[in-house]
Parts: sequence; C-alpha cells; structure tokens
Amino acid sequence: MEFDLENPFTSFEEHQSDTLLDLFAIESDHMPSHNFIQYLKITDFYVSLRQEAVSLALQIQFSCNFEPFISYLAVTYLGRFISRQEIPQRKPWVLRLLAVSCISLAAKMKNTHFPLSKFQGDQELIFDAQTIHRMELLILDALNWRMRSITPFSFLCFFISLFEPKDPPLTQALKDRATDIVFRAHSEIKLLEFKPSVIAASAVLLSSHELFPLQFPSFKTSILSSDYVNKEDLPKCFDTMQEMVETDGCESILITLSSSRTQFSVVDYKCTKSESQQITNSSITTTTMMPERREIKRRKMNGFLQ
Amino acid sequence: MEKYEKLEKVGEGTYGKVYKAKDKATGQLVALKKTRLEMDEEGIPPTALREVSLLQMLSQSLYVVRLLCVEHVDSSLKSNNPSPDSASAFATSNNGKSNLYLVFEYLDTDLKKFIDSHRKGPNPRPLPPTLIQSFLYQLCKGVAHCHSHGVLHRDLKPQNLLLDKDKGILKIADLGLGRAFTVPLKSYTHEIVTLWYRAPEVLLGSTHYSTAVDMWSVGCIFAEMVRRQALFPGDSEFQQLLHIFRMLGTPTEKQWPGVSTLRDWHVYPQWEPQNLPRAVPSLSPEGVDLLSLMLKYNPADRISAKAAMEHPYFDSLDKSQY
Repeated sequence: MEFDLENPFTSFEEHQSDTLLDLFAIESDHMPSHNFIQYLKITDFYVSLRQEAVSLALQIQFSCNFEPFISYLAVTYLGRFISRQEIPQRKPWVLRLLAVSCISLAAKMKNTHFPLSKFQGDQELIFDAQTIHRMELLILDALNWRMRSITPFSFLCFFISLFEPKDPPLTQALKDRATDIVFRAHSEIKLLEFKPSVIAASAVLLSSHELFPLQFPSFKTSILSSDYVNKEDLPKCFDTMQEMVETDGCESILITLSSSRTQFSVVDYKCTKSESQQITNSSITTTTMMPERREIKRRKMNGFLQ
Repeated sequence: MEKYEKLEKVGEGTYGKVYKAKDKATGQLVALKKTRLEMDEEGIPPTALREVSLLQMLSQSLYVVRLLCVEHVDSSLKSNNPSPDSASAFATSNNGKSNLYLVFEYLDTDLKKFIDSHRKGPNPRPLPPTLIQSFLYQLCKGVAHCHSHGVLHRDLKPQNLLLDKDKGILKIADLGLGRAFTVPLKSYTHEIVTLWYRAPEVLLGSTHYSTAVDMWSVGCIFAEMVRRQALFPGDSEFQQLLHIFRMLGTPTEKQWPGVSTLRDWHVYPQWEPQNLPRAVPSLSPEGVDLLSLMLKYNPADRISAKAAMEHPYFDSLDKSQY
C-alpha cells in the first residue's frame, strides 16, 4: 500500500470520484498553519530557514537518486513541522536533522529504501540511525501522523479532466507541464499561502496558457465554474505563479518532456539556456512546441483576467 | 501518556488491549488502543507508518470511529516527549520496545451488547425494523467509505460496531491495520477470534480476496440484528463452513467458478439451500432480497456497499439525514 501523491486515499479506481469531495474538504489540514503563513510575511528568519531546508532535501534526493516526489513529500512535512514547532536559531544541526528525518519518513511512505550510508562523505548530514528515528517520532507527533499529505498532485487529474478536447497526448502534455510547475512552485514562498487545489488549478491553467493558448479561455471558464475551487484565490495564485515561471530565466517548458521529467526536477531549473537549447534540439516534441512558446513570450501577458 | 488516566480495560481488540480512559485536561472519555510496535534498525516500520496515516484519514467519516491522536511510548525512555533542542534526548538508545497508543473517541456501547440487551434481560424484544434499517444503512455507508479509500476491514462483527444510542449513530471500529498487522486466528490473549462473520472464500483459504469479504460480514450482521442471534455460529473453520453450507447449500462450480480449486476445499456433504426467509422470519421481502445479495457465494456476484445503499430495502428510509 505505497503512498501515491496523485491518489492519497489509495482509492480503488471506481471510487476515485467519491473521494474527491473529501480531498477538497480536508486539504487545509495538510498546510502549514495559518499563523505561520502570516508570520512568514513579516520575518525573514523562517523564509531562509525553509529555503535552506528545501535545498537540503533536494541535496539528499540528489545523492540518493530518489524520485522527486520523495523530496516533495519531505518538504511538505518540513513546512508543516516548522510551522508548528520552534526551531532553535543557534543550532543549525537541528534543521539538518529535520531535513534528513523528513526525507527518511517520505521514503518510508513511498516504500523506498533510504540508504543512510550515502551520507558518510558528507560531514554535515551524518546522524546516527537512532537519532534520526527519534526525530521521526517527534515529527510524527507534531504532524499528528497525518503523513498522507494532500498535495496539488492529488488534484491535477481532476482539473485536467475539465480540459477539452479530451485527447490523451494533449492532456498528457498538460499534466507533465503542470507537474513541473507544481514542483517548481514548492520553493516559491509567495505560493505557500494557497491551498493545494488552488495551486493545482493554477498550474494546469498556466500550462494550458503556454501549450494550448486557444483552449485557455474556455478551460479557464470551466475550472472557474467548478464548485470546489476557490474563485478569489485562483486569479491571485495564477498571477504569482506566472510571474515565477516568467522570471525563471530558463526555458522551463523543456522540462515538460515526459521522458526527461524524472531527471529534471526542481534542481534543474538553474540550468543555463544553452544547455536547455541542446536538449530541445534533441527532441521532436519540443521542437514542435517551441514556436508556440515563442509566440506566447512575445505577447505581453497581463495576468489572469486578461 | 500522562495526559490520560486509564479507567478500565474494556476489551481485547483484534490487535491489542483497549482501555477506557479520561483526558486529564478536558475530562473527555477516550478509548486507548495499545499496539506493540516492533522497532528494528529502520525505526518506525514503514507499514505501520502508512497504515496509521491511512487510519488517520479514514476516521474523518462520521461512520468510522474517530482517531483523535496517536501517542508513541518508548518504554526504554524516561521522557517520551523530548524537545527538539535537547541533544541528549537523541542520544538515548531505542532498543526496540515500544508501544503505539491510538486514541479514539469513546462510545459506551456496541451492537453486540445492544442485541444482547434485546435478547435477554428484563425486557426481551425484537429490534425495531426501522432501527435495523438505519443501522444497516450506516454500516453500508461506513464500509463504502473504507472501500473507497482502498481499505478492507476484514473483521467486521457486532463487537466492532460502536453505537451512540442517543443519536442513533453506528460507527465502525477496529479497522485499518489490516495489512501491516495481519488478522490473527487468535488474539493476544489466545482468545479465539470469532469466525462467525468470516466470508467463505477466506475460510476456504483464498489469498486474493477483496471488498466482498466485508459485505459477507455485513450480511451476517444484518441477519443477526433481525434474529437476535448469530446466523452462522461455527466454532472452528470447518464447522463454520458446514453452518454456511447447511443454510445456503453446498456451493457448486456453476454458482461459484473456481471454488473447488481453493486451497482448503474438501469434499463436503451435498446440502440443498434452505429457505432463507425462514431464517429471518420478521424481515420484509426487500430485506430478504438484500440479505441474499450480501450472502452470494461468488465474491464477484456479491453486492457492493455502494450498490447496497441503493437497494429498494432502503426506499422507505430518509437518506437525507445521513
């Protein structure tokens, strides 16, 4: 019974529509606390703390060659933990221990072996197993064992199902691009305040805006007319996300390629343009998408309500 | 665990002891379910982690007993709640002895006690048909909820159905640890685990069973509410099968393709099906029809919880209140 971020309830297929309402109903339980989000806006300490922890998690994911979902999950734990528990400022090892332990828990949820020995070369991340296991328990306690995080991934399929035409290659491209945006969005502090469903809806819309601009207006209408999505937050989230993607300075669309998706996670967004270009040329799919993309870039984008 | 005052042991759940306790701060009554956790070199076992977190999610339903919190107690440690900045707490050894307390909401009665109180005692009387209908609907709703979350209960029985008598609410208990902690034949204290509600495919040693096993149990519980006594009270796996076959007829390959190739299939006496309505004389024809659909031999033919909720038996029920 491995934990699947796209299907946190492990529903049998025929039941998935039944659990959707539950997902919308309880997603807020899986976010950092409201006070914490307010606090983030007035202090830099937690912003840098979180960024450091995120980068530690990515570093571990990289050295263990884990799938990106593991570090994503770990970062959700991390975010919820530091929003509930004081982290001593002068003990940097606590944060490192926290990052390692969150990865360890996420790996267990994904039924993946976490090789502690991988860190033998990295002084900063060496903790003995028992120390990590004590920390795991503290995290479980703080998160009340709610480890089946509800993430934007849980909602992607639902929002994509509202897309017309229902053409599998198109919807797959949409999903791949949206998945990348969701990964990228995780390290954007400004997006922390939005619910997972709103992040998912924005990411899907933004993907359609990039890949299938003709379908975008009607898609936007159908997402906005769905009962569950928060209509006030969606435009705000969309605009923030668009800004994030625009300022990335990297043709992040390349990462859409489903074949390369597993290797190209958030870490790779730092890639230089020329590197990306090379990858582009090696792929037929992307080459066909590029003109479309350039077209969009040329247009001045004035945000969601345009 | 200092937060709770243990009041009394109220039972042996399938997976460990259950205590009635009081939250010292709020006075709230809770049920503490103690489960031993085998900590190895991996720390918290991944299966326990995945299942407890699933239980945590499932208990959001009104028809599932609410899991209030989870407390981990490490018997090798003096303090069970070290603050994250005390480095010494992390250095303490953790030698594998530890318990997990699942803290559930407390309900003071269960369906077994409720049925017993209608069978014996000062005022024996049948359960009101509308109450049976309401309890069965809630049970199907709770089971549908579990199944829609990919969870089989596998040990549904009247003792595991807790009742809030004042509100007329039925809640499913003792669920979710189904896979990490396989259902034992004997419980901790070597008390025999009841077989009365066990589906024939489980009794016959099928390894690929699914949601239908729970619907068999629901059928047995339905009949028991009507009869005020168990439908199939076997005292061994073999006797259990004989009880079932005597009532419903010995299953044939035609009815249930593959039955004779199941691991524990033997040669059985060839019984003809008896008249099911006679076993539940006070039940309406719609009720008998629903019961017969829950007691289909072939798991693939057995009605699902979701379909059962739409059965004509419930037509006279005001479903909007659930």
